[in-house]
Amino acid sequence: MDAFQGLLAGFQVALSWEGILFVLIGVIVGTLIGMMPGLGPISAIAIMIPITYGMDPAPALVMMAGVYYGAVFGGSTSSILLNAPGISGTVATAFDGYPMAQQGKAGKALAIAAIASFFGGTVSVILLMILAPVLSSVAISFGPPAYFALMLMGLTAISSLSEGSTIKAMISAVAGIMVVTIGIDPQTGTQRFTFGNINLLDGFDFLIIALGLFAIAEVCMLILNRKNLSLSEDQKLGSLKLTKEDLKEMSGPMTRQSMVGFIIGVLPGAGATIASFISYIFEKRIAKNPEEFGKGSIKGLAAPESSNNAATSGAFVPLLSLGIPGSGTTAVMLGAFLVLGVQPGPLLMTDRPEIFWGIIASMYVGNIFLLILNLPLIPYLAKILSIPRPLLISLVIMFSLVGVYSISFNTFDLYMLLIFGALGFAMRIFSFPAPPFILAFILGGMMEQSFRQSMTISNGNLSIFVNSPLPLALIIVSLLSLFVPVFLNWRSKKIASKNTGL
Amino acid sequence: MNQRIGFLLFLIAAVYLYFSFQLPNYPYTPVDADVIPKGLGVLMLILSVALYFSRAKETAEEKKKRDIPTRELLVIAAVFAMIFVYILLFEAIGFVVMTALFIFFSSWFLGYQKWKVNILVSLLFPIVLYVIFVNALGISLPSGILPL
Repeated sequence: MDAFQGLLAGFQVALSWEGILFVLIGVIVGTLIGMMPGLGPISAIAIMIPITYGMDPAPALVMMAGVYYGAVFGGSTSSILLNAPGISGTVATAFDGYPMAQQGKAGKALAIAAIASFFGGTVSVILLMILAPVLSSVAISFGPPAYFALMLMGLTAISSLSEGSTIKAMISAVAGIMVVTIGIDPQTGTQRFTFGNINLLDGFDFLIIALGLFAIAEVCMLILNRKNLSLSEDQKLGSLKLTKEDLKEMSGPMTRQSMVGFIIGVLPGAGATIASFISYIFEKRIAKNPEEFGKGSIKGLAAPESSNNAATSGAFVPLLSLGIPGSGTTAVMLGAFLVLGVQPGPLLMTDRPEIFWGIIASMYVGNIFLLILNLPLIPYLAKILSIPRPLLISLVIMFSLVGVYSISFNTFDLYMLLIFGALGFAMRIFSFPAPPFILAFILGGMMEQSFRQSMTISNGNLSIFVNSPLPLALIIVSLLSLFVPVFLNWRSKKIASKNTGL
Repeated sequence: MNQRIGFLLFLIAAVYLYFSFQLPNYPYTPVDADVIPKGLGVLMLILSVALYFSRAKETAEEKKKRDIPTRELLVIAAVFAMIFVYILLFEAIGFVVMTALFIFFSSWFLGYQKWKVNILVSLLFPIVLYVIFVNALGISLPSGILPL
């Protein structure tokens, strides 16, 4: 099936009444959850998984994709209205969006964000449609060593790109793989670290980790901030109308930053957050009047908004075509795929074209929905921001507990959820990034498997990873991504000390 | 602070490594089930030492994140205790009753004053969720003491 036919089949999935309904539910739920400061796309996707449990994979995954980019979109609304980004990918949105809202132009800011998001989303879906099949066809020839090296690269990239200490990010990643080793080893049947507890034989369900480390940990942060950050009842939105000049001013940053966002989204490790910051800085650099940035500049708002949405679709490229997530959020998406019995990867396009192309087609549809639905509905949707915090906290806890229970019907898993929630909270207060942990947890099992397959092929000889060019190149990139930041840090310190004459 | 966390992680890695060496061996496999855990254990030991000796200073922002009043920590601990009780009684008492009680009391505990709205939400949320899960999705939740 060529791409055009595939896309037609995809649109048949996306434009069936079922498809439209679930895309719609997905983007609305995603927008609502994404708006809540603190709750991000990871929690949004994880909370929705139990709901899709009994559904057909195609509409279920279409809905999940809708939840994902709906959450990114919703994050910008709370960034603009509250200066409290719903997700880290919309932090840069607040730089110029919040000042605009303070000037009484919240409606205009929301409209700019919606159009820029739509544009970024659409451009990158087109690029995704072109790039994913190409990568898929290349990846079919990948052997276990290449796959291992690819996953290693994803893991080292996210560790080195995480905010804060690289060592802490690496510790998160190693701890994530350690958790995977609990349970029965799939290859030899050996029980590892189960200590005779039958509940541990299957290891931990990824939903426990995702909801514990993110939703429950986010609940703890919400408890700490329960008193502040609520939308005041009488906040004025102002008109949503944009003038021709506004649109003209947006067009440059939108076009450029959609590309930038997409490319960053495709790269492992970097996601919407990094994309939005780079785009913001990029636009400020080339702007004729950079001093306007931070004070309500249209360019400063359009740039990160088109970029973070483009990055969201870009992140689907490695997920759909290689079966390898490049970020914490896509790791949870992969978990959602696996729960529904779909293995993303190079074979997805040929084995399950309705899913592969259905997701891509639903993104077109979803982007249009986000635009036409959200523009008029924004004033009403924003009301969700005035849900009292204590109530919100209780409801999120309940959603998480019911979600885990409905997958396993086992209260042991609920206790584990509580434990991982406590771990997630501890990680937050001690500044250990959680995305490397979840990514490592998802990749850990696959990495071990492909490592041992490689070893079986080579009869235990490690040189299999360096004998062919692709795995070798990927391993070199992984090592560079770990050591270059350390080296740069060391050098900049040296230069700094030289300049201060010490 | 890094020293203390580094030390703790070192201990965890050591315990993990100890148990990895207890894993049984099978002949004829080039890489047995214990190889990866041993590797991870060693990697964690190295990283914990690196964290212990890392001279990276905590940024002001990181310090602020860590600086939480004891009172607030107790509030979080209390919510965790409520979740614990919820899980403990969940299957015996049932989803609807326990969820209603949990939402009401935790919201009230966290400072929600409007008790009429609170009661309404506490009752509606579990009932709606129960109907959706059991009837629409075919996922059974414990009915407990209620004749559902």
